[in-house]
Amino acid sequence: MRKHILSFLVILMFVALFAGLLNLDLLQGAKFRRLSDSNCIRLIAQSGARGNILDRNGEIIVDNKISYDVLILPQELDQLDRIFSGVSRILGIGVKELKAVFRRNYFSSSIPVTVASNIDLEKAILLGEYKQEEPSIIIQPRPLRHYPYGPLASHVVGYVNEIDRWRLTKLEDYGYKTKDIVGFGGVEEKYDYYLRQEEGGLSVEVNHRGKFMRVLGFEPPSNGKDVQLTLDLGIQKISEENLSGRKGSIVLMDPQSGQILALASYPNFNPAVFVNKRTRLIAGLFNNPDSPLINRAISSSYPLASVFKLVTASAGLELEKINLSTSFLCRGSTMVGARKFSCWDVHGQQDIVSAIAHSCDIFFYKTGLLLGAQNIHDYALKLGLGKALGFELLYETGGFIPSPLWRKINKFQQWFDGDTANLSIGQGDCLVTPLQAANMMSVFANGGYLPNPYIIKAVGNLDLASKKKRLTRLDFKKSTFETIRRGLRLVVSDSRGTGNVLSGLGVKVAGKTGTAQVSHGATHAWFVGFFPYDNPKYVICVLLENGGPGHVASVVAKQVIEAMDKQGLI
Amino acid sequence: MRNSFLRILILALIISSLGVLSIYSSTYQKEGTAWQDIHKRQMLWLIIGLACFFIMSQVSYRRLWDFNYFIYGVAIFFLFLVFALGIIRLGAQRWLRFAWFNFQPSEFAKLAVIIFLARYFSRKSVDDISLLSSKFGIFKGIILPFIFVAVPMFLIIEQPDLGSGLMLLLVFVFLLYLTNVRLKYILILMFILMLPLPFFWHFLRDYQKQRLLVFLNPNIDPLGAGYTVIQSRIAIGSGGLLGKGWLSGTQSQLFFLPESHTDFVFATFSEQWGLLGSSLLLIMYYLIIRQGFIIAQRTQDSFGKLLAYGISLLLALQVSINIAMNMGLAPVVGLPLPLMSYGGSSVLVTFIALGILVNIDRTRSVF
Repeated sequence: MRKHILSFLVILMFVALFAGLLNLDLLQGAKFRRLSDSNCIRLIAQSGARGNILDRNGEIIVDNKISYDVLILPQELDQLDRIFSGVSRILGIGVKELKAVFRRNYFSSSIPVTVASNIDLEKAILLGEYKQEEPSIIIQPRPLRHYPYGPLASHVVGYVNEIDRWRLTKLEDYGYKTKDIVGFGGVEEKYDYYLRQEEGGLSVEVNHRGKFMRVLGFEPPSNGKDVQLTLDLGIQKISEENLSGRKGSIVLMDPQSGQILALASYPNFNPAVFVNKRTRLIAGLFNNPDSPLINRAISSSYPLASVFKLVTASAGLELEKINLSTSFLCRGSTMVGARKFSCWDVHGQQDIVSAIAHSCDIFFYKTGLLLGAQNIHDYALKLGLGKALGFELLYETGGFIPSPLWRKINKFQQWFDGDTANLSIGQGDCLVTPLQAANMMSVFANGGYLPNPYIIKAVGNLDLASKKKRLTRLDFKKSTFETIRRGLRLVVSDSRGTGNVLSGLGVKVAGKTGTAQVSHGATHAWFVGFFPYDNPKYVICVLLENGGPGHVASVVAKQVIEAMDKQGLI
Repeated sequence: MRNSFLRILILALIISSLGVLSIYSSTYQKEGTAWQDIHKRQMLWLIIGLACFFIMSQVSYRRLWDFNYFIYGVAIFFLFLVFALGIIRLGAQRWLRFAWFNFQPSEFAKLAVIIFLARYFSRKSVDDISLLSSKFGIFKGIILPFIFVAVPMFLIIEQPDLGSGLMLLLVFVFLLYLTNVRLKYILILMFILMLPLPFFWHFLRDYQKQRLLVFLNPNIDPLGAGYTVIQSRIAIGSGGLLGKGWLSGTQSQLFFLPESHTDFVFATFSEQWGLLGSSLLLIMYYLIIRQGFIIAQRTQDSFGKLLAYGISLLLALQVSINIAMNMGLAPVVGLPLPLMSYGGSSVLVTFIALGILVNIDRTRSVF
């Protein structure tokens, strides 16, 4: 009897052991497999280079330079001490400091810890020799964003930084991870998916002390695609040099194709501060009341002022409210309803061409009153104002053109003739971005085609320029454009023209100045024009925020065109 | 009759060959000739063990009856020697160093105590052929044999080797159960043994206490005493159904698992051969033990019967406690896995015990 119980007990013991095996191998097998792998497999990431950003001729605007990071595989303490003292001797950093960095960056025993980053090549080579003795040291080349021209085109390019929470939640599904470096603003953000490098890496086997044993696998990292812009590095440099020190923006575009050749905004910033993690400088950028991170060419809008008179003029000519022989007398002021509206000067008898040349307010008040506000609004929209252009860079604002209907629906307010008079000279609520102003001027430069401005020429090997939407033809009368073009030329060539400063240049320029009144501070100065007059290749828009009268903007434009001429860029 | 000889021999050979493979795989990445030679030394011990197996299977086990006091005396002598040397050298010691090998007397003592107990409980009265043990009172049935067990047990626990010491006690209790000693007495003994347990706790060494606490929850000390259990569970579990393959076990080969060639050789084996291999190993162990039980059952001689039971029980207990400890189901006590773990004494004693087992089956018809 007792014997049977005993053999039964033995069987029971073995069944229990078998059950234990089943539990460990099958029920919890996957978990233990993972634990076993994380015990002995270490992943060492290697990043490729982010794509370069080039100008239209293939010149580099932004590229990468290699920096070296030093990583150490976590392992037992006494070994770490030896490695630390060796590394400290080579790098010239104190052991204590290294240890502090190690502790701060330590994440888990399965991930190598960065102890020093951005060391120079010479030290990297010395460490490479030391690695022969201590294979647990990893020297990792890491391409970093490099800006050879510093802040040049910073608003077009944007900057790179560690991904933020908001972007991460949006982009997680596309393979973005925490601590990824992504683009912020400009081309870096918009084309991040293409510029982005693919991470490769090394998986190595280590023993229980974290000592490197052998390489298990290697996946080479791949570089991001290059993005080629339509910007011309030379013109961009000239624009920024002449803008520098003044708040505002300069846009140059090709009226025949809509390609942006230069897009400057000031104050600007040096994107390199984000690469070097200069926290104080970064905080300064965000707290600066002049908001240097704002791209003034597309993200802020201003009253277009006298430049808007071109809209009123085209509407008047198109709707035949005025014609070439229509003229109004300017005595310095006029009554609209019970209010007195004044001109900035006394011009005498003015027809359409001379009214543009002298920027006579009285002529356009009267034309505007003949047209009515809704017509002016409609023609402004036809000329590409008042709504976003669908430009490739992010954070483009649409600007705003007021209309009686809009005001009635949204504000429950009456529209008065005084408002019409204000709108017809581009004052009041009328808001336009410098890019929109340049785009509008292109229509007069190329004789009736509204461009679709763009700044990306190619991504990788894919030529985007050829796939762009062609210019839209505006069905205005030919004579309308010719008349206004004559007026624009007269602005410069006439001795009393508002843009007469530009007349001395070697190239024939046409354009329109503008002086926008603002509630606080000095007026905004505009100059929007094109050159050469006979065969326009460039449209230029200069906006100076609180820059004074439009004359100042035309002086800046003159300097830009002069420099371009000198460098043979025209 | 020849059957049991062949069966036990083949099973023991297969298991010990698997043992050599596992020992080789756990040490082949280690540097130094001492490590590289370990599997060769184990093979040498296997050959010596086999020789002992053949000799013991030829020499009648009745000789053990005659020599049992002598055997017991030798075992106690060696244990004392270890004890004395331990005191002289002011350190823990479990083995005696001979010319080129270390001898572990506790392994030998286990067999000696079984022989002694089998002899003690199978004495017959002069005028009666019935066993004396059925007439034993509490003194002769429990206390006297317990003293004989307690002496080596104390010496072994003092080494310190808690596992082997408790093994003696367990074998003793099971043998008591098998003899005709009344169940009441056994229960009294168990009760008395339980009584001073809390008191006994204070006599345990710190690391032994730690091991017992860690058994209850290995995560209280993942880098210290719990480390081995955690790593061994990872090793076994990560083997999965079919294992990682021979020489591909990362746990045992990259030194994550301590003692991967001795006490934790099962984890090493299981990592590489998976559930399938481990189950087959369990079955082979079970077959050997069952063979021992069958031999015991069909032996008429009560000494042979008890001896066979004792040997089978010793095997069964060591195998199951060792494997349970590998899986974290029993506290970590230093017990080798018979036939597989590296260690000359263990291999030798196991083969001698199996030889005795075979001999019992061979000679049972004599009586």
